[in-house]
Amino acid sequence: MFKSVSGFCLLRPISTPDMERHRNSVTSKSKSYRMSYRSSLGAAASRLGLTPALTGRRLDTRRRAPKSHNITEKVNPEQLALLTKTEWQLSYVTPLYRFRHTQLKSYSGQLSAFIAAGKQQGLAVEVFDPQTAFRVSFSVVQGMTESDDDADTVLIQIHSKPLFARQDEPQKTVWSGLLTCVNANPEYLRSLPEYFICLPLFGSSGAEGLTALVKSWFQQSFDCCFGPLEISHTSLQWLMALWTNCHTESSIQHLKMIWTLPAVPPLQVTYTVNPEDAWELWSSVRKTRDKRGGEEEENCIDIEEVTSFMQGLKSHFYRHFKLDLSAGSLNQVSTALGSAKSSGRMKISNSRYMITTLALLTECALFKMPI
Amino acid sequence: MSLLKPFSKLPGLNSANILLVESEEQFQQSLADALVEETTFTVNVRLAKSLPLPVENEESRPRIDLVVFIINLTSELSLQSAEASLKCLDPGYFLGKVCFMVTNARSAAAPVERLDVARKLAASLHCPLLFAEDQTPDGVTNATERLLTILKVAAGLVPMATALYLSNLTRSTVPPDIEQPSFN
Repeated sequence: MFKSVSGFCLLRPISTPDMERHRNSVTSKSKSYRMSYRSSLGAAASRLGLTPALTGRRLDTRRRAPKSHNITEKVNPEQLALLTKTEWQLSYVTPLYRFRHTQLKSYSGQLSAFIAAGKQQGLAVEVFDPQTAFRVSFSVVQGMTESDDDADTVLIQIHSKPLFARQDEPQKTVWSGLLTCVNANPEYLRSLPEYFICLPLFGSSGAEGLTALVKSWFQQSFDCCFGPLEISHTSLQWLMALWTNCHTESSIQHLKMIWTLPAVPPLQVTYTVNPEDAWELWSSVRKTRDKRGGEEEENCIDIEEVTSFMQGLKSHFYRHFKLDLSAGSLNQVSTALGSAKSSGRMKISNSRYMITTLALLTECALFKMPI
Repeated sequence: MSLLKPFSKLPGLNSANILLVESEEQFQQSLADALVEETTFTVNVRLAKSLPLPVENEESRPRIDLVVFIINLTSELSLQSAEASLKCLDPGYFLGKVCFMVTNARSAAAPVERLDVARKLAASLHCPLLFAEDQTPDGVTNATERLLTILKVAAGLVPMATALYLSNLTRSTVPPDIEQPSFN
C-alpha cells in the first residue's frame, strides 16, 4: 500500500503539461490526497525515488510553553463541564468525506436509526435494555479552535430514555463522543482535496458496544477509518513537562507517575512528587539552558529539557530505592490538570489548558494516521 | 579495563564463536538453542548480560568471531546498557564483527525516537542492524538464519569473503529525513 503512495508521488514530475490539463480535474484531487505528510513538507528526497521511510515522521522537538486560554467565556459551560469531567478513550480518524457542520441534526437522526437497527440485529446485546430507547444529539463546540483552518469540534451524546418514562424524568447520557482538531499543520489541511474535513482526534466515553456502533456508522457514512491511539512514552513525558511548567499559574497539586517494572510478578510503582519539588527541578533544568536570551527562546521547550527532567526524577528514585525505572515502562502520568494513560485514556481536568493539551493529542493522532 | 580483542587468540577448526549480549537475558536463550542446531560447522554460543566480560574466564574463552547486541526497544535500559557495553570492545571488532539486533520495533510501547537512536548508533559504527521478532518460533528461526549468514563470514568459513567486505554491504544507514520534524 505504501509502495503505491510513492508511485503516485513520482508521477508528478514526469507528466507533460498537456496531459496535466486533461488529467487535472480527475486525478489531481486523488494525487493531492495521497500526498502524505512526508512529501507535502518538502521532503524532496522521498519524491526522488528513495524509499520513503515510514518512520521518517517525527514529533516536534520544540514546543511552545502552554498558554492558559480562558475559554470559559467562549464555550458553552455545559459542554465544557462534559469535556473536563470525562475520561476519554482516544482513537485517530482519517479525514471525513462530506461531513458538514450544518447537517448535524440529520446526522443525529441517522445515527439514532442506525443504533436502533443495530439493536434489532442483536449487536452489542449487553448495552441494550429492551425498555430503553436511544436518542442521539450532535452539537458543535464553538470557541475551541486555535487557528482558522481547524474544523470546529463536534460533540456527540447518546441519551437513554426508558420507553415508559414520565415526561419530566431527566434523560441520562449513556455515551459521549468527541471529534476534534486543534492546531493541525495548516499545509496538510490545505493539501486535502475538497469535501474532506480533518478531525483526527476521536474520544469516546461509555459502553464499548455503543462505541463500536458509532464508529461503524462513521465508517459507512463518511468513508473514514478509526484506529487506537496509544500515548507514547515521549508524549507522556511532554505532558508531564508541560503540566509542570504551568505550576506557577495553576498549581498541579501533585505529580504522580505509575511505572510497571518487568519483575516476576510485575512490579507496579506509583511515584508521587511534591509540586514544589517538581517545579524546582523543572526550573533548574530550564535555567541551565537559558543562556540564549530573547522572548521567543524563553517560551520554547526543547526535548532535551524534557528528557533531563525525567532523568532527574529517575535518578532520585534510584538513589533511594536502588531501582532503575528505565527498565520499566511509564503507564500513567497525572496531575491536578489532567491524567494520561499509555493505553490511550485521557482526562483534562482544567479547562485553561485544554487547547494546548488537545493540540498535542491532535499532533499524536496525525502522526499515527496511516496517510 | 579489559577490552575484548578480536585477534588475540587462534581460531578453531571448522567452528565459530558467537557472543550474544542482552540486558534482559530472554531472547538470547531461545536464540542460542536455535543457533546450536547448525550442523555444517560447530557453533559455540556465549551469553552475557553486558560487557566487560568476567576476567576469570579470560583464559578458557575462545576467540569471539561475532558480537551481537540484542536491544529490546520497549525498555530504555536495554539501549543504555548496550551503549555502555560498546566501550568495552576493542575497535578491531567494528570492522564487521559486531551486529545489532533489535526486537519489538513495531510495538506500541516502543517510541519511535528510541528506534532512531538505535539506527544512528548502528550507522555511526558501520554495523548491520537486524530486526527480529522474538515471540514466535518462526521469528527465532529467521533471526538465527540471518545471524548464521553473518557468523560464517566473520569466522572465515566462507571462501573469498571477509567480515570487513561483508560489512560494506550490510551496514545500516540512516534515512536522509530522519532529523526532519514533520510538523511546523
